[in-house]
Amino acid sequence: MRLRLKDLHLAQGERTVLEHIEGTFEEGAVTALVGANGAGKSTLIQAIMGELKPIGGSVECDVPKERRAWLPQQLALDLTFPMSVEELIMTGTWPSHGALLGYCGPHYRKAREVMARLGISHLAHRPLGELSGGQRQRALLGRTLMQEAELLLLDEPFSNVDMETVEVLTEVLRDMADRGTTIIVVLHDLEQLARLADHVLVLAGGHGQWTTPQAILENHHGGSQRHHHAPILSFDFPK
Amino acid sequence: MLDLLNSLFIAPFDYGFMRRAMIAGLALSLAAPPLGVFLMLRGMSLIGDAMAHAILPGVALGFLLAGFSLPVMSLGGMLSGLLVAGLAGSVSQMTGHREDAAMASFFLISLAAGVMLVSLGGSSVDLTHVLFGSILAVNTTALVLIAGISSVIVLAMALMFRALVVECLDPLFLRGQGVRHGLVHGLFLALVVLNLTAGFQTLGTLMAVGLMMLPATTARFWSKRLEGLMAIAVVWAMIASTGGLLLSYHLALPSGPSIIMLAGVGYVFSALLGRYHSLLSKLRRRATPLETGGAA
Repeated sequence: MRLRLKDLHLAQGERTVLEHIEGTFEEGAVTALVGANGAGKSTLIQAIMGELKPIGGSVECDVPKERRAWLPQQLALDLTFPMSVEELIMTGTWPSHGALLGYCGPHYRKAREVMARLGISHLAHRPLGELSGGQRQRALLGRTLMQEAELLLLDEPFSNVDMETVEVLTEVLRDMADRGTTIIVVLHDLEQLARLADHVLVLAGGHGQWTTPQAILENHHGGSQRHHHAPILSFDFPK
Repeated sequence: MLDLLNSLFIAPFDYGFMRRAMIAGLALSLAAPPLGVFLMLRGMSLIGDAMAHAILPGVALGFLLAGFSLPVMSLGGMLSGLLVAGLAGSVSQMTGHREDAAMASFFLISLAAGVMLVSLGGSSVDLTHVLFGSILAVNTTALVLIAGISSVIVLAMALMFRALVVECLDPLFLRGQGVRHGLVHGLFLALVVLNLTAGFQTLGTLMAVGLMMLPATTARFWSKRLEGLMAIAVVWAMIASTGGLLLSYHLALPSGPSIIMLAGVGYVFSALLGRYHSLLSKLRRRATPLETGGAA
């Protein structure tokens, strides 16, 4: 067990967003969070990251805080900040280096390996503000690889990225999971759900329901046909 | 020719007050612009102005209690600056009021309180001195204080550099690493206040922020890299502070405004002709050919 939600109640201000959320997230499992806009996906992620205090229940996590990584939606970042791809990836060494220790050869080598794996070696010295959405997403995932994250939360990582990036991200995330990283990812796309997720936590009406990717795919149009890159809709959720 | 150069650039520094003023200007130029660069990158360019007003009541109180004693006035300025920054932050957190709105409210109150305090105990000459400073009146004690504070700021910035960079880009990442929410931001604001207390003797409470912000905003037109921004801002601040002093000496102009005006001329020049984001660069901008590897 890496992470457990026990009768979790969450609120934003005075509005209760989620109630009675239960669940266990195992080592190496990929869990998709699905739900309509405003269903509480980001609220749940905030609570797991320790950014939002529950009004009831608890989040139990045995992953140290510095090994929990968070890939925010790109809009949350200040992309005008003058930083290169390599510099961004090197900030992933924070758990071992903190604010003061200098970087050394092995870390730069590791950063180069990470960039090669993500196909962004040629962008190492390019400012973040000059990257496309997909390139930026790969650079951000590079930071979490550098961080050697044991728990990784991703908020809509496939929105506004090109097909090649989708392939690379899916491959790298599956590989991370195979190596033991627990992954929780907000998804809106059936194709990604089918390829990436082991479990699904559906958030609707303030409650959570556990299901499987297969159940959602079968529910989609009665399971009569596979719809590549179709959005996940509320009537796909198992009743 | 050599005589002319000597009389223009060297001879003025035969005077002790000019030498002290130059060193004070160079010390401030080393510490202030890096703070300005981070203020600018964090979208807080006007916070420096607000903080400059916030130190005024403390400076005025120090002046009332101990006359023109720089250490006492600086201490007062530092305390009132930190108090106002803390109050603005607290009010914003407790009420949900935006921090810039809380800061604007507090700095206006501070300005009024400061001017009232100086007026109660002094003359308009004193008020002018506090508001606009006098770099030519920097004595050895003031110089040591300014150099000391500048050194502390440079050292603290070096120690905080990585944390500041990470916080600017993605504050949530930093919080995720266990750095307490607001810690880096609070320490950074404290350094801004500290710098302004060092600067008010030379440039006055109102213009001390000029040497912080103008070189930083100027550098934005010449570099896209953080190190480049800071280096250009420091060098330009040094040129502006020394050049401004020489201008004030030769043309009998007030020294503080000369320094800031020269820094301002650099800003206007850069906005028109700088390498990036300037008017000229916008007029000249063409698409990068694909072979040279433009951004996808």
